[in-house]
Amino acid sequence: MKIFGSERKTVDKETAVEHGKCMLSRRKFLMYSGATTAAASTVSISLFAGSAQARQVPARVVGYPRKLIGKLSELKENQPLDFNYPDDGPNTIALLVKAGVKCGGGLGSEQDVVAFSYMCTHQGGPLNGTYKVTGEHRTLGQCPFHLSLFDVRRHGIIVSGQAYESLPQVLLELDGDNIYAVGIMGLLFGRQQNVQGDSTISIGAVGQPAKVS
Amino acid sequence: MTTNFYIPEDRAPLPPTHAEVITTACDYCVVACGYKVYRWRVGTGEGGMKAHENAFGIDFPSYALQSWVAPAQHNVAMHNGQPHHVVVVPDKDTTVVNKTGDSSMRGGLLAQKVYNPKTGTRDRLTSPLMRIGGTLQPVSWDLALEVAAELGKHAIAKHGANAYSVKTYSYQYIENTYAITKYALRHVNTASFTFHDTPSDVTSTPGFRDAGFDNFGPSYDDWGGADTLMICGTDPYETKTILFTQFIKPAVERGMKTVMLNPRETAGIAWMKKMGGLHLDVYPGTDNLVLGAILRVIVQNNWQDQDWIDNWVNNQWESSSGFGQGTRNTPWQWRTTWGKFQTKGFEDYKKWLLDQKEYEPESAAKEAGIDVAKIYKAAEMMAKPKSDGSRVKASIAIEKGFYWSNNTGNTNAISTLATVVGAGGRPGRVVGRLGGHQRGGQSGGKLPRNKSPEKVPGRRRRALDTDRWLYSGHTRFAHVIGTTWIQSMCGSQQLAKKFTELTVNNPNQVWTYDKQEIIDTLKKRMDSGGMVVINQDIYLRDPIGARFSDIIFPAATWGEVDFMRANGERRLRLYQKFNDAPGDAKPDWWIIANLAKRMGFEGFDWKNSNEVAEEAARFSRGSRKDFSMIKIAAHKEGKTLHQKMREFGTDGIQGPVFYNYDTKELVGTKRLHDTELRHDKKQLAKMGLENGPKGANVLKKELTGFKSQTGKVNLQKHPWDLFSDFYNWLKPKGDELRFTNGRINEIWQSGFDDVERRAYVSQRWPENWVEIHPDDAKARGIESGDQVMMYSDRVAGFKDTILGIGGKDFQFADLMKNGHIELTKAAVTAVAMVTPAVKKGVLYANMMDMRQPSNALAARVVDNISGNYNFKMGVARIRKLGESKYKHEFRSFSFAPRNII
Repeated sequence: MKIFGSERKTVDKETAVEHGKCMLSRRKFLMYSGATTAAASTVSISLFAGSAQARQVPARVVGYPRKLIGKLSELKENQPLDFNYPDDGPNTIALLVKAGVKCGGGLGSEQDVVAFSYMCTHQGGPLNGTYKVTGEHRTLGQCPFHLSLFDVRRHGIIVSGQAYESLPQVLLELDGDNIYAVGIMGLLFGRQQNVQGDSTISIGAVGQPAKVS
Repeated sequence: MTTNFYIPEDRAPLPPTHAEVITTACDYCVVACGYKVYRWRVGTGEGGMKAHENAFGIDFPSYALQSWVAPAQHNVAMHNGQPHHVVVVPDKDTTVVNKTGDSSMRGGLLAQKVYNPKTGTRDRLTSPLMRIGGTLQPVSWDLALEVAAELGKHAIAKHGANAYSVKTYSYQYIENTYAITKYALRHVNTASFTFHDTPSDVTSTPGFRDAGFDNFGPSYDDWGGADTLMICGTDPYETKTILFTQFIKPAVERGMKTVMLNPRETAGIAWMKKMGGLHLDVYPGTDNLVLGAILRVIVQNNWQDQDWIDNWVNNQWESSSGFGQGTRNTPWQWRTTWGKFQTKGFEDYKKWLLDQKEYEPESAAKEAGIDVAKIYKAAEMMAKPKSDGSRVKASIAIEKGFYWSNNTGNTNAISTLATVVGAGGRPGRVVGRLGGHQRGGQSGGKLPRNKSPEKVPGRRRRALDTDRWLYSGHTRFAHVIGTTWIQSMCGSQQLAKKFTELTVNNPNQVWTYDKQEIIDTLKKRMDSGGMVVINQDIYLRDPIGARFSDIIFPAATWGEVDFMRANGERRLRLYQKFNDAPGDAKPDWWIIANLAKRMGFEGFDWKNSNEVAEEAARFSRGSRKDFSMIKIAAHKEGKTLHQKMREFGTDGIQGPVFYNYDTKELVGTKRLHDTELRHDKKQLAKMGLENGPKGANVLKKELTGFKSQTGKVNLQKHPWDLFSDFYNWLKPKGDELRFTNGRINEIWQSGFDDVERRAYVSQRWPENWVEIHPDDAKARGIESGDQVMMYSDRVAGFKDTILGIGGKDFQFADLMKNGHIELTKAAVTAVAMVTPAVKKGVLYANMMDMRQPSNALAARVVDNISGNYNFKMGVARIRKLGESKYKHEFRSFSFAPRNII
């Protein structure tokens, strides 16, 4: 089984400090633990990246389903594949794409396979069909509603426009040739929480300041 | 303060059905979208997913365009000393402005503005501070106010009222601006007074004023009502976002054409081009030439709107009317004496225009760096009659990129173009500014311009330039309210140096606990040629507060006090209090009132915000946001002004507001200069104006005519030579590039909150940046993500307060010749963004990053006629310093061009 393992060296280069912070600090989201349970998926993450103690450990993505969304060998460069995640309900449409250039959170030996929600985080406009290659840049948008544009290479950050959150990035796991969706960074438009029907999970990132109480 | 360490959350609470709903409007840009605050006590539950379980009354997951709470739209705030959840979201029910609940990123993040010590807002000022022993230390309100008042009194008594300089925001709510101007202008009575965006208290758009155009005459509906809309010096998608998405974009989709004058291609411009728009990608400062050339093509083809000109343009007698009568004290009457601007009507103007070689299309296009075909195309789009002989309905919108390049010349030219194409006074044929900040100014006093020691050629005194006044050492007491002063002015590093010299480097510094000794020390500083600085703000600003201020007063702001304000279509709303101000922070009107009382001034006994607003109401009479009749109606109904305003909710009411004494109704004004309204008997009857104004209503000629001496438009010449000496001097030499700066959608007019307090915004825009064209970048070995230095050794600084006698004494060439201009160095670092979105040969940087202020590179030379800075005009070299960390990481910044469509 190939879970990130063979890519560790290249992963380390980019993930090192900055990427590591972004992906790792969601401790309530990614519970790093060697144990497995039936409900949890595991992904490999960098701990203490950039430091002498840096190591890769398997992590559990709590509460999110592990869903097969495609095969690495079947992805064609810059030809997005649509899927639904984390369920088949409203506002779950997402794209999986091999961007051909290294992307934040990218999977595969080129670190270029990423997945994002298609729902604009401004007012839920559909971004289907707006994936675009401009030189070294990869974007989603302009949103047909209010023209927001998102940067696919940079964790879905807003390039120009209205949205007050990055485009939710779907966390991916590679198992052999199979690509699994295992979690989401950010809240899908229209949802109160990404995974419906269980209020005990995903109670917000630790990295975000706590509220006054 | 926040870092750009942003972790997205994946959950947000829904407001429960028991949440209270409080209406307000956005704190930021001029558009002022309507917002709702949902507030409920912590510990009382959350809304559920079913429609009957949440305050929105809809099922979740919601659908596109329905209500939703993004995690960043939730916060926890103190209300009456108790923690409450607050959700701040655009109002889905409003029928105006942000119809259907649209919002920009700035407004969408309003909840993050709310004070919460566990967020980036933790450094809000919560107590008065006094610099003792070099450190700003918390002190009581009494001590801070008493010391400030003693020093203020001393400055006035010993050095004259003009030594007491007031630099204030012009917009941060009617109650505050009224109190501040009442204090500064009526009581301190200083000529050394100005607002945040200009060194002297002068009109922003001199050409508009002389033509008779109000800056904010049109309603937002009008901006979507033309066949061709010309937009100069702004991309409204970037900076008037919801005005664009709700009014302009749908109109373009219906077929409205656009003509855009702008050196950059941003998202909105790229989209409008795709939809058939014409982009005149001019070099900064060449607008006047391009407009003159367009006008030339129009008049040579006889495409002018002759009916409109015949009926609404002043002829020779009307143009000069007023001479020999009274004091000749309007700007237009003064300018007509110079022979530079006035015309005897259209034919006279036409003759002048055709005599000016610089307006030949080939010549103008060459200087502006554009394809000459675009000039002909623009003239056609705006004025060529349709095949059936009917006229194109044209409207013209301008903003700062345009009027801060050649302030007088550009605004003269655009006013004339508007008039020639028949824009200005009819629905769908309007002219105006799109606006920057909101319109919250209400003057409580008049600038004593006759006390200004500066005069321009002729008899007229000019409003005092507070920067040069300070620079030449006359300011002993600087009272700074809600502005950085330094970074927001041109040649800002020159100003910073002078501030340092007058404050920090003066030997008289406070090292004592004794109140009298503190006062005596600071008096000595003023008497020795130094300066005392007091500062009112919500955060400690560097350097004005952190380095230069002796006393800091903590201000309360949006959401913490009930305030009134208008937007860019004169729409008045009440911005309601929904949470407690932090610590001892007080609204600016309260700070001013308590300082005024200690200064010995009378008339500052207000008990609450409403009392200030009610006093201000009568001073608004006749203005574009006249709300005096709202107070009168409110009192008739046994309500306060603020109570009455609250009833208008997010829809508000457009000023000037009329009261119909028969129907007891308050009726707003859709547009000013509404020449068709004079024939609309039904609407006039509704407004109670069919036989002229009744009771306390004030009817001004600009309601159905123009704001000139006659009510008709002054057609102006727009001489290039008042500006060309400066323009030519500034042109790049060697490897210099034109340097300009401006705003960007995600971070502007929210600068006091956004990049420094919101992790996500900081992640997107963590530092100053500069856009550079790929060709210019390649020649200098610069790539996106490189850290660069922008620098110049010829930042022009106008340093003296002078008297103009000869006609050209304020011309740049003469200022230079007479030694009034000094050339200094400036250096500003930035992260490079290589993009074809900016014109080749031009650098475009963020207008005001607090840490790397771009204005340092803009010439500190005021417009010859108006006294405004031309902020957009600079020159700089650029070189690579190394690579920024953003070049190879993916977490922060984005180098994707903004014009990808």
